[in-house]
Amino acid sequence: MQAQSIGKQKYGIGKLWTIFGGILFVYLFLGFMVFPCLDTLTSIFSTKDAAGNADPFAVIRFFFAGNMPTFVLNSLKLAVLLVITVNVVGISIVLLTEYFDIRGAKILRLGYMTTLIYSGVALVTGYQFLYDKDGILTNWLLQYFPNIDRQWFSGFSAVMFTMTFACTSNHALFLRNAIRGIDYNTVEAARNLGAKPFKVLMKVVMPTLLPTLFSLTVMTFITGLCAMSAPTLLGYNSINPEIVRLAGSTTADEAFPQARAALLSIILAMFTILLLSVLNHYERKGHYLSVSKTKAKLVKQKIQNPVANVLAHIYAYVLFIIYMTPVVMIIVFSFQNWQAIRSKTLDFSSWTLINYFGSQDYSYTTSRGKTKIRPDAISGVFANEKTIGGIRLSFVLSAIAAALACVIVVVAVNYIFKHKNKKRGKVVEACLLFPWLLPTILICYSFRIFFNNEVWYVFGNNLYYGENVRFLIIMAYTVVKLPFAVRMIKAAFYAIDEELEDAARNLGASALVTFLRVKLPIVLPSVLAVFALNFNALFTEYDMSATFHSSHGTSYAMVIQSMCNEEGRDGMNMNASGRRCASTVFIMVISGLILYLVYGVGARDLGERLAIRERRRKRFKAVCGKLGLSRAAAEETDKAEAHIE
Amino acid sequence: MIDLKDITVRFGDFTALHGINVHVNEGEFFTFLGPSGCGKTTTLRTITGFINPSGGVVSMQGKDITHVPIEKRNIGIVFQSYALFPTMTVRDNIAFGLKIRKMPKDVIQQKVDTIAKKVDLSEEQLAKAVSQLSGGQQQRVAIARALVTEPAIICMDEPLSNLDAKLRVNLRNELKKMQREFGITTIYVTHDQEEALTLSDRIAVFNKGYIEQIGTPNEVYNHSQTEFVANFIGDINKLQSDIVSAMNLAEDKVHYIRLERIGVRAAGRGDSVPAGNAATFTGTIESQEYYGLYIKYTIRAAGQTLKVVEKNDGINIYEPGDPVILRIDPADIMSY
Repeated sequence: MQAQSIGKQKYGIGKLWTIFGGILFVYLFLGFMVFPCLDTLTSIFSTKDAAGNADPFAVIRFFFAGNMPTFVLNSLKLAVLLVITVNVVGISIVLLTEYFDIRGAKILRLGYMTTLIYSGVALVTGYQFLYDKDGILTNWLLQYFPNIDRQWFSGFSAVMFTMTFACTSNHALFLRNAIRGIDYNTVEAARNLGAKPFKVLMKVVMPTLLPTLFSLTVMTFITGLCAMSAPTLLGYNSINPEIVRLAGSTTADEAFPQARAALLSIILAMFTILLLSVLNHYERKGHYLSVSKTKAKLVKQKIQNPVANVLAHIYAYVLFIIYMTPVVMIIVFSFQNWQAIRSKTLDFSSWTLINYFGSQDYSYTTSRGKTKIRPDAISGVFANEKTIGGIRLSFVLSAIAAALACVIVVVAVNYIFKHKNKKRGKVVEACLLFPWLLPTILICYSFRIFFNNEVWYVFGNNLYYGENVRFLIIMAYTVVKLPFAVRMIKAAFYAIDEELEDAARNLGASALVTFLRVKLPIVLPSVLAVFALNFNALFTEYDMSATFHSSHGTSYAMVIQSMCNEEGRDGMNMNASGRRCASTVFIMVISGLILYLVYGVGARDLGERLAIRERRRKRFKAVCGKLGLSRAAAEETDKAEAHIE
Repeated sequence: MIDLKDITVRFGDFTALHGINVHVNEGEFFTFLGPSGCGKTTTLRTITGFINPSGGVVSMQGKDITHVPIEKRNIGIVFQSYALFPTMTVRDNIAFGLKIRKMPKDVIQQKVDTIAKKVDLSEEQLAKAVSQLSGGQQQRVAIARALVTEPAIICMDEPLSNLDAKLRVNLRNELKKMQREFGITTIYVTHDQEEALTLSDRIAVFNKGYIEQIGTPNEVYNHSQTEFVANFIGDINKLQSDIVSAMNLAEDKVHYIRLERIGVRAAGRGDSVPAGNAATFTGTIESQEYYGLYIKYTIRAAGQTLKVVEKNDGINIYEPGDPVILRIDPADIMSY
């Protein structure tokens, strides 16, 4: 007989829950991951020729004969160059704010981190607002350089520029943590041994950042490969926009569009699998861990060379301007009337709240220059049912999906840790990481095609029909966000001392009580952080919204795109611009608020919370003392405050 | 009180415990001592119920508890890391076990206050988060949490190992005092021989899943039953062939002598070292380590190097190169 962990003891209700959870997990995994994707894979080889005979390799032939390789090559070109530019900018912003002593680093950091709340389709349209043919900057440049091409901000270079700055969020989060984890004693030791500052940076600091940088590089490459909103809105023929176009096409328009879309999705998947395998192999080789018993906090390095110091400051603030200008412009113009927005010139006499709270139908200019009123088109974001409806839908769907992903992953990771040395634990983890192997677009495309039929295991419903599409979007959002949640929440579970669980069990707590009262409160800050990051990413995501776009599935990204389209018509519907600015500001406020609550408030441990409460109490007593309130009254209020907290 | 009979624990092909037998008396401070991986923590986890043994019986107060669930054994545990719940206040940590038992709120409050007083935790400290306490205070919280449910015995798994040396000595004394006050049967796991010798009523010395010796600190130190115990507890000299033959000791055995059992005096002084059965050897001081209370010498004598500890009287202090005479009493030699 083997020695057994007591965790293996069988409890009736617990066992039932495990069986129920297991069945549900298998159902979700097969039903919402395996079957739809398999269907996509098989559709490639189920093509028929003109006579209706099976021609399994028709689409493969079409691939080599047609223009499909162009999309693949374009995506690859974007991904490769993006790796370079994003790493250059990403490493720069982290070094400038965390490693070098640059004046105003706190402000700079805030600017560089704006992509955390201002991302996705909102960011792309924000850049368009500045740089496209009618953009503020374009107009300003044309005043001084009339020969500049008005259409300069389009195609590959525009996509590169936009994505370079949009994709540094992960650097701002993860590379920043990595650099903060460096033991300063190693820097001092290198200096003491005669290394010059640049040598220290390259030989001591950078090698410790390499594992993080490698992960970020792979993620950036995949992001570039699977780019969607920027190529679509800025006009660049890459894989993802083509998949969405083909998915919406019919055989009447062109040859086997569905199978071609499926083939492109599979090509993306193959690249993703290859890259993740490389990443996995690299991660298994191990990381450079600090061996210090007493880590010293990193001290910022002053750039000794005055010229280099000035250049670094200039570079830092140029980047800051690039990051901040679209944000500031969007905020400022959200308070301007349509005339000011149309001419893209700030008019201090045109300050208005109409883009937020206006409830009147908006006016527009005809081609003859007359101003007319368009009925049923409300100016203000909060009064325009279509806009606020899109925001509401995105908010609800993103919140449900982000929460669902967290719940599934927390329960599953708890199970994985309980069975970490057993096959079943590893199988559950592999299932949760499965969507990582597949590009988002493949999952969405598979969902759209597969569930656009009556599927038996969803009670014979067509999930792409009517309001059912919302459920489909939630499922797609959830599936796509599972791998990220697994990696982050698993790391949080590693931080739980196993003795805590033993202690709780020893004190009489059941497995469920131990989970709810001991383990969950410990991982909760990380879970909330994952929720916030996933929510913010989904709130303004474009890929899935475009794939599932329908009258019942018009999310915020689609609303913003439709507003852009309306603006595109010359002289028409200028108020859509203002509403778009206002809605973007509103989204930024919500995203910022959520990040603040999660990272600012939620990340405080109990000690910090109690210390803040104590400070508040002392301050309150001091104020009471100054105001001459009686001691009894102050104590009474004090008790009430403590009770509330 | 606690009886382990023929306890065997296997993990796959590896046998962690080979049929060990232990009896712990009521109110006793009993220590499991041994190097890492010797099976002492496995034994403790078998008693507490975290491990189901592959064979043997665990009984408490005469009742077989081998397969009784952890929470029903009525055993308190103080963990190596203290395992205090970081998301709860000190009061909530101590009250956790009582809340699980669904005790009335006023009873919980009263019990927590009483135990807190006993372990010297103030009302102010009870309202703090555990992260706001010092290492020593955290240890007291862990003890209070383990004791508040009134367990029959308390098990401690290296509770001092995370602390610095000075605090460890202070808390060791406090721990002993508390155990005496509560009069609770205590099983203590450590790899620190000094801790075991100073705290315990009895010690079980573990090695590779076996118990080598069970005895009082004096028994395991001065009358080590096995070569392993002699080597593991305290510092010791192994006697080489010259001394063995000079003293007519059995040559088919190995012979050891504790450092403080070797007498030393300056060569040629002819002073206070008594004769009797003792053998004397001339030697030369190789090195000296000054500890204040005592001085440790490394001496070259009879073809081997011997370590000797002498009380620091401030007068008889030898320097490297000084000739000395060593005195070894056969009664002090442990042979295996």
